Amino acid sequence: MTETLAAVLLGFFAAGYFVLGGADIGAGMLLPFLGRDGGERRQVVAAIVPFFLADEVWLVATAGLLIGAFPDAEARLLPGLLPLVVALLAGWIVRDMGLWTRNRAGGRVWPAVCDTAVTLGSWTVAGSWAWLLAGLFTGSTSVARGADVVLLAGLVVALFVLHGLAFARLRLTGRAYERARAVSGGAGDRATFAVTATLAALLPVAAGARLDLTGSAADGATLDLLVPAVYAMLPLLLAGQVLTWWTFRERVTA
Amino acid sequence: MDVLELARLQFALTAGAHFLFVALTLGLATVVAVLQTRATAGDSEIHRRMTRFWGRLYVINYAMGIVTGLVMEFQIGLSWSGLTHFAGNVLGASLAMETLVAFFVESTFLGLWIFGWGRLNRWLHLTTIWVVTLTAYASAYWILVANGFMQHPVGAAPGPDGLRLTDAGAVLTNPSALQAFWHVLAGGLVTAGFFLAGVSAWHLLRRTPEQEFFGRSLRIGVFVAAPALFASAVTGGRQLQLIEEIQPHKWDAFTGGAGGARIGALLMLTAFAAMFFFSLLNVLLALSRRVVVTARLWHVALIAAIPLPYVAMISGWVFRELGRQPWVVDGLLTTEDAVSDLSAGAIRVSFTAFVSLFAVLIAVNGWLLARHARRGPEPAGRVELEVLV
Repeated sequence: MTETLAAVLLGFFAAGYFVLGGADIGAGMLLPFLGRDGGERRQVVAAIVPFFLADEVWLVATAGLLIGAFPDAEARLLPGLLPLVVALLAGWIVRDMGLWTRNRAGGRVWPAVCDTAVTLGSWTVAGSWAWLLAGLFTGSTSVARGADVVLLAGLVVALFVLHGLAFARLRLTGRAYERARAVSGGAGDRATFAVTATLAALLPVAAGARLDLTGSAADGATLDLLVPAVYAMLPLLLAGQVLTWWTFRERVTA
Repeated sequence: MDVLELARLQFALTAGAHFLFVALTLGLATVVAVLQTRATAGDSEIHRRMTRFWGRLYVINYAMGIVTGLVMEFQIGLSWSGLTHFAGNVLGASLAMETLVAFFVESTFLGLWIFGWGRLNRWLHLTTIWVVTLTAYASAYWILVANGFMQHPVGAAPGPDGLRLTDAGAVLTNPSALQAFWHVLAGGLVTAGFFLAGVSAWHLLRRTPEQEFFGRSLRIGVFVAAPALFASAVTGGRQLQLIEEIQPHKWDAFTGGAGGARIGALLMLTAFAAMFFFSLLNVLLALSRRVVVTARLWHVALIAAIPLPYVAMISGWVFRELGRQPWVVDGLLTTEDAVSDLSAGAIRVSFTAFVSLFAVLIAVNGWLLARHARRGPEPAGRVELEVLV
């Protein structure tokens, strides 16, 4: 029972990461497309930055839960996936530093360096996830190869892009907004985001369903403490998230 | 180097880099939270400007703490799967608590604090920095519960599949964790105090226009560092007694050995002694507001002393962790048995990737810190409150 509750938590945090983190990663991938000059790119980055800290913590929490509630699954999975995880982390760091420091130095060069870091970092993160998830979908727990893996990975990358466009449509105005809207269909902004968010949430759930988590859960004595503690903390965790979305609900203008 | 040595060096460099940034952010968060409380409660312009100036330096530094911390979290699973397999029931749970109960909240509220200037109600905004500070402490506590267990494994018993948790209370009140926790908090305040005093001294030495601003900041730095040094001496002394009791091999390495652990301990004690005597002088000089803005030789000494807390923190940590070797969980699991089954090529790629990234990041961080520290605070009376990034 506690194991099931722990698996539900793991799925919840992983889905939260792909919905929220996936949105700002996708928007980062599209930075040069959405913003054609320095001012527009500044606008796109300004649409992402209030959220990226609150978004990436979902992955940190997922990794924490994996090591705490399913330590053997982590010990089994991560070493085999080392090259992809290293690429994921490197892309993540490069992207974060671009977002953190873009406006900390003036001139034209530094913002351009940071924009490149955000774009390349976001593509590296999305690509690493795509490869990793495609492997898990096909039942592999190491760096997978094959035509089916390439196809699935391509679909995951496409989903990141679409989800980023949907996020951009919620956050932007002006020409950057029009560009996102022109390539993502005629449905409403919120409806489009609801669809891409649902697909993003399904990614980790589908991949996780193929992993045998029950055999690798932590001991009952550990889970009986950890799982209720996390459920008890959930309201505070979610309150911070809701406050973030409420505070920065307005669109960013050029 | 073989896989074990590379994995150890990689983790040591990541954790060491992380610890350097955390040392400053833990202390600086506290100072900024107190400054903002005075700014908000007293509606004080100078405290508001101080909050923003020191807060910006805090945020620059915090970014580095996050990214090195991320790499560390994943490295435990990547390179040390033997440790997760053997001690996951205890270590994994405290790391999970750190990410969920502490870091998740800390990072979310830090985003609200940075980008919420001028948007959030000022009392709500003040609350966010206190949430960040308190969850940063909680984060340090949970990490030290994991680390304390590696030094002194209590509250667990060997089972067929590694360790099982038998007494959570013993794990949570492990003296090796609690004393290190207070010691690290004190060390963080020492680091922040020396940082405030040193950066302020630079401005006073250069006779930049903000005499009042940096005179006050210098005094805050001095009067934070002095009691914090005293607290770090008390908690450090108690840790030495504890080591003699529970980790005799570490005690032997400290008293008689010639290895890295002993060098770390001696360097830490030397840096501490230098800071302690310097700090006594600082307190005397800082009593006079005139001396604070005019004593140029003292300003030079304060600037030169900024690295001292870092030397003490890092060498004390080297002593703590090298003194534990060859064990990863003292007396139960060796480091050699904890390393993952990785190819030499894989660990080399990961080592090269992270070490070169960190080198670039440390350089960028130093450049940005120096740039913003030199620039000084925003002009007085500025009504428009931009975000801090």
